[in-house]
Amino acid sequence: MTKVYVGMSGGVDSSLTAALLKEQGYDVTGVYMKNWTQDLPGLKCPWADDLADAKRVAVQLGIDFKVFDFEKEYKHKVVDYMIEEYKLGRTPNPDIMCNQEVKFRLFLDAALEDGADMIATGHYARVENGVLKTAVDTNKDQTYFLYRVTGEALQKTLFPLGEFTKPQVREMAKERGLYTAGKKDSQGICFVGQIGIRDFLSQYVERTPGAIIDKQTGEKVGAHDGAIFYTLGQRHGLDVGGGLPYYVVGKDVDKNEVYVSRDLQDKALWRQEILLSSIHWINDTPVGGTYQIRVRHRAPLVSATLTGDTLTLEEPQRAITAGQSVVIYADGVCLGGGIVS
Amino acid sequence: MSIYLDHAAATPLDPTVLAAMQPYFSEQFYNPSSPYAPAVAVRRAYDDAKSRIASVIGAQAGEVTMTAGATESINLAFATRTGHVVVTTIEHQAVLAAAQRQDHTLVEVDQHGRVNPESIRSAIRPDTWLVSVGLANSEIGTVQPLGKIAEIIRQERDKRLEEGNDTPLYLHSDASQGVGQLDVNAARLGVDMLTLNAAKIYGPKQVGLLYAARAVQLQPQIVGGGQEQGRRSGTENVAGVIGMAAALEQAESSRKAEAYRLAGLRDRLQARLVTEFPDVVVSGHHKHRLAGHLHISFPHLDAERLVFALEMQDVLVATGSACAANKGTRSHVLNAIGLEPHVADGSLRLSLGKLTDEEAIEAAGTRIIAAVQQEIARIGA
Repeated sequence: MTKVYVGMSGGVDSSLTAALLKEQGYDVTGVYMKNWTQDLPGLKCPWADDLADAKRVAVQLGIDFKVFDFEKEYKHKVVDYMIEEYKLGRTPNPDIMCNQEVKFRLFLDAALEDGADMIATGHYARVENGVLKTAVDTNKDQTYFLYRVTGEALQKTLFPLGEFTKPQVREMAKERGLYTAGKKDSQGICFVGQIGIRDFLSQYVERTPGAIIDKQTGEKVGAHDGAIFYTLGQRHGLDVGGGLPYYVVGKDVDKNEVYVSRDLQDKALWRQEILLSSIHWINDTPVGGTYQIRVRHRAPLVSATLTGDTLTLEEPQRAITAGQSVVIYADGVCLGGGIVS
Repeated sequence: MSIYLDHAAATPLDPTVLAAMQPYFSEQFYNPSSPYAPAVAVRRAYDDAKSRIASVIGAQAGEVTMTAGATESINLAFATRTGHVVVTTIEHQAVLAAAQRQDHTLVEVDQHGRVNPESIRSAIRPDTWLVSVGLANSEIGTVQPLGKIAEIIRQERDKRLEEGNDTPLYLHSDASQGVGQLDVNAARLGVDMLTLNAAKIYGPKQVGLLYAARAVQLQPQIVGGGQEQGRRSGTENVAGVIGMAAALEQAESSRKAEAYRLAGLRDRLQARLVTEFPDVVVSGHHKHRLAGHLHISFPHLDAERLVFALEMQDVLVATGSACAANKGTRSHVLNAIGLEPHVADGSLRLSLGKLTDEEAIEAAGTRIIAAVQQEIARIGA
């Protein structure tokens, strides 16, 4: 019997993942990855409750359950990376880093070491012979977060939820009476979902007051508490008064200045050419040509031509920010992608 | 309705206790310190409740300080002085944490969790001012030989008098777990300070008391308006204290019969589990043990899994040791009695109480057996 270690977070998706695999005849072991346990200002980290919920479901299914402790590695590989990137004025994606470094490297290796033949997670994605394909539920598709995983890792990975929609998953969890069937989804980045990146970062980075400057007039229109907390295209949380909304159109981390504009068509907000760095291909390097790309999770797919490290978009896109990932697809297959320079 | 076997953690408010408390949340809301007649009536009701509490524990009302629970009482007791204190290794975290704030000696217990009174004597130094030994342990239910310890304290005091050592020596006991099953009369126990808690005897949570004999000069930790003879400021928790008085009187009046009843049920459950699984380990002293307590370990099993499996069968029990969220920090009590990790990790604490009847204990036994068998089958042990 194939031995599968399922990453169980205590949420409904990974709970059903374990249940389905067990029904399909796999020898299933649930694993809770202990990545982050610290409380944040005004927010108690729910890890202990999540761990208990994951274990409850494991007991319900009658499967083995283990805890893998990746706290040190997660801090180092994901959180520190994220903080460093922000300090450089970029907008990184910790979920992508977590998949690359923790779930599909550390967890995979530890599981194989422990006797597993494969791993599985509750991601909405499909995999066939190491090829990553988008989920049936296009609204939930999570391949954007998975583009830096290797083909070899995917050869040993199962994503049973890729065939279903989220409402179907909830329904199936309910039918099976899973303890977590009615549990609310955790949102966004697991540990900063609820308090926001700014409050999280301010734990690690000093707040330094600076000016918000209207790019057109050069006038100071407000104050901020650290340019690194701002990202291109951002409208909310700007401490500037009245009238039409301002958008962040640029920043200078060295001068600690944030530039804003009321003009949605401001050239700085729109880009047609993207130079990619840290390009990663899941399997073979594609020959080049026209592909579908996505500049953020759930963003619509748009056409672009890849020439070397440069992507030329058919239509200019708004708010493409340094540090953010661009993921490249061909006919529903996620090929890989790179990071905006 | 679920079968509740965790009375050592919390108990439901008794309906008659609730009824006694009820008026003091609403119509009798006055501040006991106010001068007009309705407030004076509240003051009288409060003082009356304290007198009744004092009478149950064989004390004078002036020797009782109401607090927001046992943890506060323990903190208040330990703040009396600084110097050297003696406690056992299996005390409640509140006692251990309070002891750690000053020079302290931890006295070990035997494999049943009983402390040898002579070990207490050896731990007492010329500068020891406090010995604190819990009447009954909350995890394994072992009852301590408090009378013998009190006798030793008296002898040590006499010795100090002869030697001209004027450091006082007090005996404090946290009796939170014993009330309703054991005698908690301070005079008969021979203690100088006694901590009690309403929450474990079908009274309200966040209500407790510290008895301190007149000779003990408590140092107020919460200062302000000077309530409780200046020992604990803050407007009196009138409803809570009236609730505690009612709960304590009930606990005391039903104590012997209830202890007998619970011991019978507990012994039945224990016998059934021991027969079914001969390699289980029952912890706590076989004779000196709380009547409603059964601490039982299933070697090689994961107690938390059993708790979750039983929860799904509507049986609510406590793990007797660590849960996965705090792996590596096994119960200090189980460490102290020398339980091996593979035994300690499979421990359940079953604590019976008013909600437990024969039917419940039969059903619980059947479901525990099924859950344990299932786990044994899963791990192939």
